[in-house]
Parts: sequence; structure tokens; C-alpha cells
Amino acid sequence: MLTLLGLAGLIFLFYLSFFWVSTEIRQGIAQRIFYVHVPAAWTAFLAFGISALCSGVYLWLRDDRLDRAAMAAAEGGLVFATIMLTTGPLWGKIAWGTYWTWEPRLTLTLLLWFIYLGYFMVRSSTEDPEKGKRFAAVVAIVGALDIPFIHLSVIWFRSLHPEPVVVKPEGPSLPGDMLTTLFTGLAVFTVLFLGLFLFRYALEGLRAEADLRARRSAA
Amino acid sequence: MRAIKILSTLGVVLLALSALSAVGLAQEMENLPQASDLARQSLRPYWHVFAAYTIAIVLIGGWAVSIARRLRAVEERLLD
Repeated sequence: MLTLLGLAGLIFLFYLSFFWVSTEIRQGIAQRIFYVHVPAAWTAFLAFGISALCSGVYLWLRDDRLDRAAMAAAEGGLVFATIMLTTGPLWGKIAWGTYWTWEPRLTLTLLLWFIYLGYFMVRSSTEDPEKGKRFAAVVAIVGALDIPFIHLSVIWFRSLHPEPVVVKPEGPSLPGDMLTTLFTGLAVFTVLFLGLFLFRYALEGLRAEADLRARRSAA
Repeated sequence: MRAIKILSTLGVVLLALSALSAVGLAQEMENLPQASDLARQSLRPYWHVFAAYTIAIVLIGGWAVSIARRLRAVEERLLD
């Protein structure tokens, strides 16, 4: 249901982005990339946050359901982080004249992507699955520690990346229609992620059940 | 089986309603004061913008298809 709602929302978001919202006067039409780039970034950070939280509690309680939730969220986070890391350079080519530059926010975001790629590599390359789950949980927590640095990097360091326009002490500085489109994007991407995350979590539950049955029949 | 049918019907109806309300809401929004005339200007063919939206659709859709395929494989394993 959430996924269907997200799909309908995505169509609505595209309508708003292409036909309704005002065109930014300095950046022109390229600014419309913002309405998929920022929601993808928010969703990736939310997913990695859920993954780190579930991993932390998993290390404490050793409940396999938490490990499954952490893995499902990490996979979703990686998908949305990939969207963020590919749509950003497309905007950068028009705004900065280059697809990529090694400035703090971009570099830290790429680092986050590699950390969560490492999360899956650690899981699959450890011989003992239980050990793999614990190692991966630590990687998820370490990865999430990078998120506040990504957000604050544009304030702390000299950066090419635009500063926050919504989450700042004096309030959002975007015109009303742009803010509406942005918040629609944030809601749509969050709903889509949550819908697919539940499917992914259910998949891991079924897989665990199938493995258990296979072990029982082998014994 | 009956639950799946009911859920599917509900899903289709909700999707249709969402689409209808989306169009209606968008038409209403066009009348709001903050929607400037710039919104009505034609889109210049910036392939970067279309590439960005295509990437988003392909990656999210790809993830959904990948989950569906894996779910089917696990369900087949469970049936065997």
C-alpha cells in the first residue's frame, strides 16, 4: 500500500517539478534536479540512520530481526545514496562546470557510500555468518557517524556545495512553491523507501525460514 | 486469496483516486499566489534534468523489481 501510494506520489512530484514550480532565476531549469537530489539525500540518511540504530540494538540484544531490518535499510540507503551521488554531479556540470570536485561534502558523501558498500562486503565475506552480522553492525554504526559531518561540512569548511536552504536557524529561505515541491519530494521518497523497506524486510524473514527448513530436512 | 483480491482492488482504486486528486490539487495550486508566471515557460532541452529524473526512476524501479524477483525465488524455495 505504501509502495503504491509512493508511486502515485512520484507521478505527482514529477508533475509539480516539470509543470508547476517556478523556474529559479539564476540556475534556470537545471535547478529542478534539486527536487529529486535533496529527497534522495534525505531518504539515504534516514535509511542509514535506521540501519545504524537497528545495528546498535542488534549488538545489544542479538535479535536477528534487528539485523534483518538493518540490512534492509542499508540496501535502501545505498539505492537512494546512488541517486543522490548521480543526480548531484548532473546539476554540478551546469552550475559548476564540472561533474565532480573533491570538496568536503561530496567527498564525505562518497565515503559514506563506500562504507555501506563495505557493509555488504563484510557480511558476505565473513565465513561465520554470526560474526559477519556483528562486523557489519559495527560498519553500519561507523558509517552513520559520517552523516552529521556531511550536513555540517558546508558550514565548517570552505565548500562549493550550496549551504542548507531549509534546515537552518533562521528558517527556510525558499519561495513557497519551491518549498511545497521539495516537501512533496521528501514525503514521496520517504513513503517509497518505507514501502520497499517493508518488502525487503519480509524477504529476509522468508529467506531465514527457508534456510531453517532446509537445515531441518538435511538433519 | 480473498484478502489479496480485496487489497489489489483497494490498491487500484486508491491509485486512481490519488491520480485524480493529484490532477485536481495541481490545478488548484496553479491558482495560488506563489505560483509565478515563470512556471508556464517552456522547458529547455536540458538533458541533465531528464537524465537525473530517469536515474531516480530506474534505480527505485530496479530495486523494487529486484526485491520482487528475490521474493518469488524464496517463495518457490518454500513451496518445494
